[in-house]
Amino acid sequence: MDWTLFAELAVNGALSGLMYSLVAMGIVLIYKSSSVPNLAQGALTMLSAYIVLAIAGALKAPLWLAIPLAMAVMFGIGMGIERVALRRLAGRPIIMILMMTLGLDIFVRAATMTLWGGTARPLPLGISDAPLFLGPLLLNRAYVVGALVALVLFAVFFFFFRTRRGIVLRAIADDYTASWSVGISVERGVALSWAMSSVVATAAGVLWGSIQGVDQSLSQLLLKGIAVAVLGGMDSVGGAILAGILLGVIENTASGFLDPLVGGGSRDLVVAAILVLTILVRPHGLFGREDIERI
Amino acid sequence: MSDAAPSLLSINNVEVIYDHVSLAIKGVSIEVPRGGMVGLLGANGAGKSTLLKSVSGLLKTERGEVTRGEVRFDGRNIDALTPQERVELGIVHVLEGRRVFEHLTPDENLVAASAVRGGRADMLRNRERVYGYFPRLHERRTAQAGYLSGGEQQMLAIGRALMTQPRLLMLDEPSLGLAPFLVAEIFEIIRRINREEQLSVLLVEQNAIAALEVVSHGYLIENGRIVMHDSSEAMKKNPDIQEFYLGGGAARDFHGIKHYRRRKRWLT
Repeated sequence: MDWTLFAELAVNGALSGLMYSLVAMGIVLIYKSSSVPNLAQGALTMLSAYIVLAIAGALKAPLWLAIPLAMAVMFGIGMGIERVALRRLAGRPIIMILMMTLGLDIFVRAATMTLWGGTARPLPLGISDAPLFLGPLLLNRAYVVGALVALVLFAVFFFFFRTRRGIVLRAIADDYTASWSVGISVERGVALSWAMSSVVATAAGVLWGSIQGVDQSLSQLLLKGIAVAVLGGMDSVGGAILAGILLGVIENTASGFLDPLVGGGSRDLVVAAILVLTILVRPHGLFGREDIERI
Repeated sequence: MSDAAPSLLSINNVEVIYDHVSLAIKGVSIEVPRGGMVGLLGANGAGKSTLLKSVSGLLKTERGEVTRGEVRFDGRNIDALTPQERVELGIVHVLEGRRVFEHLTPDENLVAASAVRGGRADMLRNRERVYGYFPRLHERRTAQAGYLSGGEQQMLAIGRALMTQPRLLMLDEPSLGLAPFLVAEIFEIIRRINREEQLSVLLVEQNAIAALEVVSHGYLIENGRIVMHDSSEAMKKNPDIQEFYLGGGAARDFHGIKHYRRRKRWLT
């Protein structure tokens, strides 16, 4: 066995896994603050990348300006989703809300297809293609940047959920009715969680868009995001980070060895297998809250 | 009546319908005086919780609606207000079954409930006040609330409500599933808060024995109607109450049940 190749696959897998964590983090943020599993996170990620391009194109703005502007726009879109699509559903069965997020996913993908078509557009961040050397290992620079962004966001949200506002959001996720009963504005909390998640989606959309171009396939990051979020426990930001690393390593090494045997295309199979196994073996993931049953 | 010296809370002839069809309470009127402690007694399904929700505004989350009558708080009609606005006015509802934020610690439960009031210093002072009333919660302040005992959870639910600095505390079956000595302890604390802070209390209970010990007045609700309203002393002496809610008197036989039905019609 070639240990250098293995290590290189593992390290690059960990880095790209952290970039999956960015997508997963958006899912976790919403779940942790309102117990809604958001199936539209992949579509929002893609939408944000298109919005960055649209702002850069329309205002002739440089990317360093277009990205924060797009984050502001996505913040507003997140708030709008709560207001238009979710407010009436608060307190309704979770299946209806889940279907609504699926509807949002389809809507966003169809809308971007209509507006911007299907051809891939480049989103150059100016990150050099030249690999970074770590001893004998070659690292992908874009992945390194993405991994660092993921870690910074993790630190931000780790502290956020210990602030007063963060605690209120966790309370909402626990019990909507009890939150209303003590005067918490559940609607505003849910809106904030969608807005934050949409901003995180922008970070993920830009980084992934710069790597693989901006087209409909960006929305398929949902699969990786869901797999990482479920493995990490749905409501744990730290879990999303560790699960991202784990999933990235397994995906990259397993497919690195499987692909030559089966002729390629085993990446998604590995991810899907992890998703299914997690749900079967440990439904609350590595670090998720367990439902408390007192007797 | 409510113009001259308005009660803190007056519910006037309120009717509540769920899902546009199911009539849950039928023209109920209740007054809670300022600083008073009033009990609302009745069996399962009599409409007690529904009445509290019509005051706290939580009806709409269950597709219920006040279709007649009005709820006045401090002389003002509050029917159009959101639950949050009602908490800001000073109404707080401790839900049946405790409903603490299970994955948060007691500390965090109290912080979460302080969202409507004041800055950080207020919140901390307020939290110390709550821990003053419930020292046992203070001991377990960093445990996960879902793993507290039933009594501790009930204390936490009440403490959480106190964090909103209410003027009216509405408690829905705080004795549910608790040992009698704990019920006595919790009711005693509620009475103390009522006395020391002039906090008005509306206590909803099936446990009439315990409730009539602490309230000054009681209402009895049956099938969505108020069938009796009197001082707690008089209610304790009432033969119907003794027989059917205090568990005293003769054993339940056919004759008793018929008699009870007749009495109920007469009272209505």
